[in-house]
Amino acid sequence: MSSPSPGSTSVGTGVSDRMPLPALNKAGHVAHCVRCLDGLPASLVEMDASRMAIAFYCLSTLDVTSMAERQISPTDRKSWKEWIWDQYAEGGFHSGPFVSVSGSDTAHPSRGGAGVVASAATAPHLIMTYCALLALAVLRDDYALLNRAALKCMVGACQDADGGFETMPGAGDADLRMTYCAFVVCALLGDWSCIDLPRALSYIQRCRTYEGGYGQTPLGESLGGPTYCALAALHLVPADHACAPQARLQRAEWHATVRWLLHMQAEALAPVGGGGFAGRTNKLADACYGFWCGAALAILGAGDLLDAHALGAFLAQCQYKFGGISKAPGEHPDPYHTYLSIAAAAIISPDPAWGLQPLDPLINATPETARWAKEHVSAAPPEPKR
Amino acid sequence: MADDTTEHVLYAERPEWSDVVPIPQYENIQPLAPIFYTPEYKDATDYFRGIVKTGEKSLRVLQLTETIIRLNPAHYSAWQYRYETLIVISAPLEPELVLTNALTKASPKTYQVWHHRQLLLTALRDPMPELAFNEEVLKADAKNYHTWSHRQWVLAHFDQAELWAGELPFVERLLNEDVRNNSAWHHRFFVSFENGSKGGTGEGADEAVRRELAFVKGKIALAPNNASAWNYLRGALNHTHLPYSTQAAFVELYVVDAVDADADRVLDLENPPPSQGAQLPCLAAIEFMADVHEARGKEGISEAVKLWRSLAHTHDTIRKRYWEFRIRDAVANTSVA
Ligand SMILES: [Zn+2]
Repeated sequence: MSSPSPGSTSVGTGVSDRMPLPALNKAGHVAHCVRCLDGLPASLVEMDASRMAIAFYCLSTLDVTSMAERQISPTDRKSWKEWIWDQYAEGGFHSGPFVSVSGSDTAHPSRGGAGVVASAATAPHLIMTYCALLALAVLRDDYALLNRAALKCMVGACQDADGGFETMPGAGDADLRMTYCAFVVCALLGDWSCIDLPRALSYIQRCRTYEGGYGQTPLGESLGGPTYCALAALHLVPADHACAPQARLQRAEWHATVRWLLHMQAEALAPVGGGGFAGRTNKLADACYGFWCGAALAILGAGDLLDAHALGAFLAQCQYKFGGISKAPGEHPDPYHTYLSIAAAAIISPDPAWGLQPLDPLINATPETARWAKEHVSAAPPEPKR
Repeated sequence: MADDTTEHVLYAERPEWSDVVPIPQYENIQPLAPIFYTPEYKDATDYFRGIVKTGEKSLRVLQLTETIIRLNPAHYSAWQYRYETLIVISAPLEPELVLTNALTKASPKTYQVWHHRQLLLTALRDPMPELAFNEEVLKADAKNYHTWSHRQWVLAHFDQAELWAGELPFVERLLNEDVRNNSAWHHRFFVSFENGSKGGTGEGADEAVRRELAFVKGKIALAPNNASAWNYLRGALNHTHLPYSTQAAFVELYVVDAVDADADRVLDLENPPPSQGAQLPCLAAIEFMADVHEARGKEGISEAVKLWRSLAHTHDTIRKRYWEFRIRDAVANTSVA
């Protein structure tokens, strides 16, 4: 694959004389994720709309820490895959069964119950589709149940007249998160014919701001998450595609974006959040932006320009004593910040002793999982046996 | 807030709902990340699935979806179905907006609540009160990304001169409260140079840039170590293709080690000096001057390198590798040229 070189392991001058980093409590973080996969308290009911994302963060944490093999029993693997496929309908995935109206009487909700009246309320969700495809890759699923034509149809239907992508066809809520998810699906399928790529690229371009980052929507303020989504999306466009020239930054743009991203890192001795990345100018550091900004820099081939040791020290401080990683020191952990912190550490590699798998910054998975997803999602379905 | 203050009766126990067949949530034996729902949520969503299955769109659906949204404001299907119902039964949308006001204040960080507002406003076409409501929400959290995005959407979507007219004074109010509020700076850029300049202000581009340069320099003088203001200055210059060197006389005042105490020079309104007690030198000023020198080519390079070195080794060591990269990059480019 044509992934630009992430500035991964090089250790810069002056780093050796610094304090060694605390240990990464991998076992604790894995335990946190396993607990979340087992169940969430009622207070987290808002997660009902993003259970597939929780599954993706937790399974990917196991993957990047090399614990997937050891922690996932064959029975778990089988029933988890089944659960994910239960959320499959009309070409894409739901976050969970919370809107599945076919109930347990139909063997497979994905086939839809008879007599269900069409409503956009039951359409699959583009972000959850990305999360499900990646979670299935971690579980090494063969995607035999995937209807590629329907998936392409669903992604294409999510694109609006403006070039952006909506969470669900016709939802009217486009932002760069879904552009990224749509591009990953195309990259996995190895097929870009289902979307209007020139229009999608112009949408991304319109999200650029005077600061050098990207806003969530064309008028928005520069923000770490959408900046990652924009850059990853642009670099997912294959080099041999006719649109590739429009999908790479101009020299001046590259400089402005690298500058903005690097300025998001808080000085090491800052009273709060030193070494961590903020998501916006003049905001406090938050562990997840270590990934969004760090991965964005890696994609631009500038990953070795950030201070990996200082970021590692910040992430280490965000570790919760009973496992899991929180957005800032002293806060409560969650799967989102746990995974993204570990993914950030996998990219910047602040300490070889942390022992993490490398990460494909474009797909947001280990290279092996990304390869699996590409090989198996793109593969033509086997001939139906009759 | 009926559901919060009065005893909540389960839908299963409401006679007027007895004709609906609730559909329990289907999970296989070992689901991923199951949530231990409260009885109220489980009950309401069982009835919601029952309603979605039959496709019923009626007044009572509004009651049911409100219950769900109050329990879980991120329930995107409930929101979606609620909006479809409002349209199908031609419900009056003004009361819906009043209800949404309360829900917005209760969950200002939920995507769905803002999206619902957009749908309502698009249908109601009365954007003026929305800006006042928006400012009210910003009072609770002046940096909420959703609130700002929504405001920008209102301005761009309706694009009316009366809407634009109050925006600069509005931003100024927010910057007076917190001069480091980057969302406010971003909004000011949007109003001054992007969509806003096409709207109501009716002024020329030259006039806008003159006004904005004076404004941002005044704010930098007040609080020099403010990355938002410096980014704004750079953005304004880039946007209007003015070279950074046009601001050198101003920026030089911020590269020195201390405020010039016995400054008996004539006050230069174009180039306001740092306020007394300002922390100097200002990193952003050093960076800016290095860019000015770099743009001069061969003659400027050694001066630029000196400044980048001071950032790398003294003033901004967290970005040491970046400043060293800038040196390598500049040297390589000038030797090629
Ligand atoms: Zn975060």
